Amino acid sequence: MFSNKPFKERFIKDMKRNWTLYAIAIPMIVFYFLFAYKPMYGALIAFKEYKPARGFIDSPWVGFAQFERFFTSPFFGRLLKNTVLLSFYSLLFGFPAPIILALLLNEVRHTVFKKTVQTISYLPHFISIIVVAGMITDFSMSTGLFNKIIEFFGGAAHPLLQDPSLYRPIYVASDIWQQIGWGSIIYLSALSGVDQQLYEAAEVDGAGRFRKLISVTLPAITPTIVIMLILRIGSLLSIGYEKTILLYNPSTYETADIISSYVYRVGILEQGWSYSTAIGLFNSVINLVLLLLANNFSKRFTQTSLW
Amino acid sequence: MRKKLMKGMMTALLSVSVSAMLLAGCGANSGDDKAVDQSKNETEEATSGSNSESAAEADAFTYPMDTDTTITYWCDLNTNVAANYANLGETPFGKGLMEHTGVNIDFQHPPTGQGEEQFNLMLADGDLPDLLEYHWMNYTGGPEKAITDGYIYELTEIIDKYCPNLKAYLEANPDIDRMVKTDEGHYYMFPFIRGDEQLRVTLGLMVRQDWLDELGLEVPTTMDEWHEVLTQFKEKKGAQAPFSYEYTMGSLTDDNPFCYAYGATRNFYLGDDGQVHYGAVEDGYKQYLETMHQWYEEGLIDPDIATQQFDQVSAKMTNGTSGASIGWAGSRMGVWTTAAIETEPNYALSPAPVPTLNKGDRAPMGQIDNAVPNQGGVAITTSCKDIEAAARLLDWAYSEEGHMFYNFGVEGESYTLESGEPVYTDQILKNPDGLPVAQAMSAYIRGNYNGPFVQDIRYLRQYYTYDGQKASNAIWGDNDGKLHKLPPITPTSDESDQFSAIMNEISTYRDEMTIKYILGTEDIGTFDSYVSTIDSMGLAKALEIENAALSRYKER
Repeated sequence: MFSNKPFKERFIKDMKRNWTLYAIAIPMIVFYFLFAYKPMYGALIAFKEYKPARGFIDSPWVGFAQFERFFTSPFFGRLLKNTVLLSFYSLLFGFPAPIILALLLNEVRHTVFKKTVQTISYLPHFISIIVVAGMITDFSMSTGLFNKIIEFFGGAAHPLLQDPSLYRPIYVASDIWQQIGWGSIIYLSALSGVDQQLYEAAEVDGAGRFRKLISVTLPAITPTIVIMLILRIGSLLSIGYEKTILLYNPSTYETADIISSYVYRVGILEQGWSYSTAIGLFNSVINLVLLLLANNFSKRFTQTSLW
Repeated sequence: MRKKLMKGMMTALLSVSVSAMLLAGCGANSGDDKAVDQSKNETEEATSGSNSESAAEADAFTYPMDTDTTITYWCDLNTNVAANYANLGETPFGKGLMEHTGVNIDFQHPPTGQGEEQFNLMLADGDLPDLLEYHWMNYTGGPEKAITDGYIYELTEIIDKYCPNLKAYLEANPDIDRMVKTDEGHYYMFPFIRGDEQLRVTLGLMVRQDWLDELGLEVPTTMDEWHEVLTQFKEKKGAQAPFSYEYTMGSLTDDNPFCYAYGATRNFYLGDDGQVHYGAVEDGYKQYLETMHQWYEEGLIDPDIATQQFDQVSAKMTNGTSGASIGWAGSRMGVWTTAAIETEPNYALSPAPVPTLNKGDRAPMGQIDNAVPNQGGVAITTSCKDIEAAARLLDWAYSEEGHMFYNFGVEGESYTLESGEPVYTDQILKNPDGLPVAQAMSAYIRGNYNGPFVQDIRYLRQYYTYDGQKASNAIWGDNDGKLHKLPPITPTSDESDQFSAIMNEISTYRDEMTIKYILGTEDIGTFDSYVSTIDSMGLAKALEIENAALSRYKER
């Protein structure tokens, strides 16, 4: 509506009118500048042979040597595969879980029961990952809780965290256990916004509970689901190293070692600053591409997108 | 802080960049600062140096020093100290050290278990304390690199000027002198020195003596006897995990006596031909893995070795789940015996020698530290403003008075002299507050762990209270380990990046395959392809670098 005036004039006018809103935004802008944009400059060391003592400027340029070292590393294929698979399983099983919980809770009419379930289900979210990993490790030992359960049902006890084929299920399942309640909050709030008249209209048309779920509830929260999915895909490859380094050991490296845990070992523990930055940068580029792809798909097929 | 940052970041790009900034941005500044600091220090050094020279000429220097400098001193806080004190400066040891030397010390400690991480971040950040206590051989590129990188001072001149005690010690012990220098002949640290050969043997096998007695068995000395003993433990004593230890604890796996039995080790060692060899690709190592796998299948080895930690092993060793383990005489044998003896008065652990394949043979290898082990060495950083105070503070430990203080503490409080020999008081041996000996000692001395001083054998004889402990050094050291121990050698700065890149891949792969062969998830038939994979990762180059380093060491 201001289109005939130059940008500068419009901006100043808007600034005067809405200065309080701009003031509120300043802290976040500063935050993102300091913690998200300024550090990008530091990522340049991926192209250098960085030595702290020589400093950022004087460390020699080495082009793509750090990337080459990573791509030709004997572990490259495995790290990439493990990272992708772990992310993929987390997405496949971990993403729908809170939605299902939210839908189930939404059907519960007994308020006290509903609140209790909700509280209990999101408590694990507040437990430190160190404690969670300690519990998982203890329970997975040959004499631990999980093995007692397995034995009760007639199975043979064996140390679960030493079995590479069980690593991913344990990782994903414990993630779901920890995050399902917390993750369902956003869907529950979306559900509470669904127009009750729609349900009444559906009932008049003779829809049962399940029919209402499929035809009213789900379409109503689809935009929320899609946005959450896009965000999730954008960070698909950025699984943190914390849980991994707490749960893995050399006998499960085969399935457990992922890009971020490798970066941790090489970068922080062995002073390979440039090498680990290069790997991190590679990881980020893939994430960015995935995010753009997901967003584009979504725009095309569901008309919902981030921007 | 790291955690908060990581959580706050939405994408990896951001988080990677943040750490990159921490590393890079700050590093750049510190580089400049350092240049300035260095020149500043040089002038200071020159002036204070000339002062002290004239002082030395007048023969006037005495402790305590008259200075109001505060020296910042970064070191790990030993767990036995951490049990009762948050800072080394609060202990009688810390207070006494300041009192005797006259230097005020501000001790800084990383959180337990994060020493490595904190050390590396501190370097990247460039904000260094005056003194850094570290295992300097682990510095990427070796100690010489730490000097050329501009983090720490080359000490030759400083030792000449301010450190008569250390200088005298090194002159009297040329073998040790060679170990504390770099290939270029530079001194870089105030070393931790094991003052007696017995102190260099610290780790070995231990077995439940009370069970052996009950079953009418002897302490096993061959692999076959071990098999028999562990089998009997399992069948007759109901031990579910007869032999237990934690695989992920580096030193226990590095110095596994069952591996030494086959003349093998997973690391570099000095061969009979005087060259450096890599044990993990040799035939002996394969035989070791085969035996371990067989034992594992028979249920003689703890099924949880790859995931468990010290706590779980301790529980098993004290509650009868396990009857044999690997470990140290103090922190394991002693601690477990003390804990178990309350409920089982007969509980006793005996040290067992490195097993042999044939009865009566001499074991070809065994654990032994270098006289200067890779721990507890203190360097003066280029951030240090008062070099004289720092140097003299550290040099005091190598004087007669300092030696007694570091090893025995305060006379009249923690020890008394009986016919010239130091004897610990009941404050240490029967602590009135009920502290275990290790903790009571750690409040007063550093003799029972490490630090910049010469360790005294006389501490050990009193520290060990059980018969098993007292016998341990002689039994564990009865082998040819000494002939195969590599001295502290370092690659050159140029080679070090390549060396660590190669060895990083090789050791990751080796550790992974080793445990898989033991657990049987990988068949030992693939050992040849395991060896050729390690070859393809560049083992030949790594050996070449190590051998060159060895010959440089010999020429020091």
